[in-house]
Amino acid sequence: MDNAIIIGAGPAGLTAAVTCAEKGLDVVVIDEYMRAGGRLLGQLYEEPNGNWWNGIKESTKLYKKAVDLGVNFHLNTAVNNIENSNGIWTIYTERETFHTPSLLLATGAAEAPVPVPGWTLPGVMSVGAAQVMTNVHRVKPGERGVIIGVNVLSAAIAMELQLAGVEVASLTLPKTNQMTQDAGKPKEVLDSLLHVSHMAPSPFVRYGSKLMKNDFMKKLGVNFYPKKGVKMWDIPIQLRKAVTKIYGEDEVEGVTLATINADGEVVSGSEEHIPVDFVCIAGGLYPLAELAAVAGCPFYLVEELGGYVPLHNERMESPLEGLYVAGNITGIEGAKVAAAQGRTAGLSMAHHAGMDELDGEIKNSIEWTEQTRDNAHIQFHPEIETGRKKILQQWDAYQSNKKRSVVSNSRGGIT
Amino acid sequence: MKEDEMIICRCEEVSYEELKTTAAKYKCSARELKLRTRAGMGYCGGRSCRTMVDKIAATSANDRNRTCVSLKYQPPIRPISFKNLGG
Ligand SMILES: Cc1cc2nc3c(=O)[nH]c(=O)nc-3n(C[C@H](O)[C@H](O)[C@H](O)COP(=O)(O)OP(=O)(O)OC[C@H]3O[C@@H](n4cnc5c(N)ncnc54)[C@H](O)[C@@H]3O)c2cc1C
Repeated sequence: MDNAIIIGAGPAGLTAAVTCAEKGLDVVVIDEYMRAGGRLLGQLYEEPNGNWWNGIKESTKLYKKAVDLGVNFHLNTAVNNIENSNGIWTIYTERETFHTPSLLLATGAAEAPVPVPGWTLPGVMSVGAAQVMTNVHRVKPGERGVIIGVNVLSAAIAMELQLAGVEVASLTLPKTNQMTQDAGKPKEVLDSLLHVSHMAPSPFVRYGSKLMKNDFMKKLGVNFYPKKGVKMWDIPIQLRKAVTKIYGEDEVEGVTLATINADGEVVSGSEEHIPVDFVCIAGGLYPLAELAAVAGCPFYLVEELGGYVPLHNERMESPLEGLYVAGNITGIEGAKVAAAQGRTAGLSMAHHAGMDELDGEIKNSIEWTEQTRDNAHIQFHPEIETGRKKILQQWDAYQSNKKRSVVSNSRGGIT
Repeated sequence: MKEDEMIICRCEEVSYEELKTTAAKYKCSARELKLRTRAGMGYCGGRSCRTMVDKIAATSANDRNRTCVSLKYQPPIRPISFKNLGG
């Protein structure tokens, strides 16, 4: 039996592990990847203050710190189920079974797919896969590619590919359909991009954010948006184009690109062929919460947080005894916020293990998380604050419902 | 290849057309759409197509205000060998 087990060795899980170990707990960390660091490993970009954020370095630092504190790592180990009985969590992996009274789920995020005709051809990959190949394994995904889906993540990764000497022929939209919806509509995409203008060293976005304050101006902006696109870091961003098809005999040979109107409809006859040897699809991120679901944790759909999230409070407690959540499983945000949440979770777990007088530290850690969020350089959803409030309201509603049903039970009412 | 023919669930080879017509006909939950078409019931456990099945169902049933999951997760959430499953 271990005092604390953490599933996921990303910034949230690693920070929680360090925090628990500093408080004297025996800690085990389990991750299915062969290397600790999670999605932090792939991150490489320049911050507005000119510093470079190098995810590999940050991961190594955190991992070493945890190892020095005696944290036990099981890498290359996927958790396929968790179960609780009598207050003890059992964690199933292919090789071993673990037990603990205090379990943290820090499983991060997954990428949402963008279906495009031809997307099952070899050479089509998610943009995150291209990031891992390039930045972690140092293998080029191809010589020349197209990225389908324009969002914060794909813009950041396009720049990373460029740095690695891989040509990005176009960053463009998917054709709109029931699954791609707003991701295929120039106006909606422009809306979400304007919000992140501070991180884009591009005249168009900077120009845009000042001038396109109201909806009418935005519509104009899309209509006047040059059909050829604008360049950001020398990469053409084409909001008035969409990929209608990926073609090739046995592997990707190119994409068909068409002009679209402001609502995303294809202008017929505008199709052209762009030869490429790989295609990245970028559908955005959603919280990876499978284990919380099999454990029976209640969920709530909060679009601002990226999808279905397990119910939790600011102390990173779930409604299930001894089950904690931290990082992107609670909503899509940058690595620094994930780490801050990991610290809070670690403290809550130490508290659960019987450590007294942690309330002050937990309170500070919650405040620190909010500050980190306010100063975040990368933000995946413009309304993240609203999303956080929604989930806290749901938590309160859930708790008061529970109390009410306990009261009615004791009166001999509903059972 | 036409848009309708593209594969959404790779494990069970379910096309966009099949999902779209089933969703339009039954205006059902994502769970029912899954059970009717087998999309999301294959080897990967729905890891690739789950969000798409969810969206198609929500659009057809006009259920944009849904807040709860209708698609369940079943253990094991990662493929494991029969030998190890049997313990
Ligand atoms: C493709 C991609 C690119 C991103 N790029 C950026 C970026 O450039 N900048 C930025 O700030 N943020 C980026 N993010 C957001 C990123 O999720 C956060 O920055 C941060 O890494 C989240 O930390 P985390 O600890 O919550 O999860 P992660 O870092 O995702 O770590 C989760 C870990 O859990 C493990 N895991 C999951 N399920 C299981 C299981 N069942 N069994 C065992 N192990 C499991 C995973 O292997 C992983 O190592 C990106 C996310 C993705 C998916």
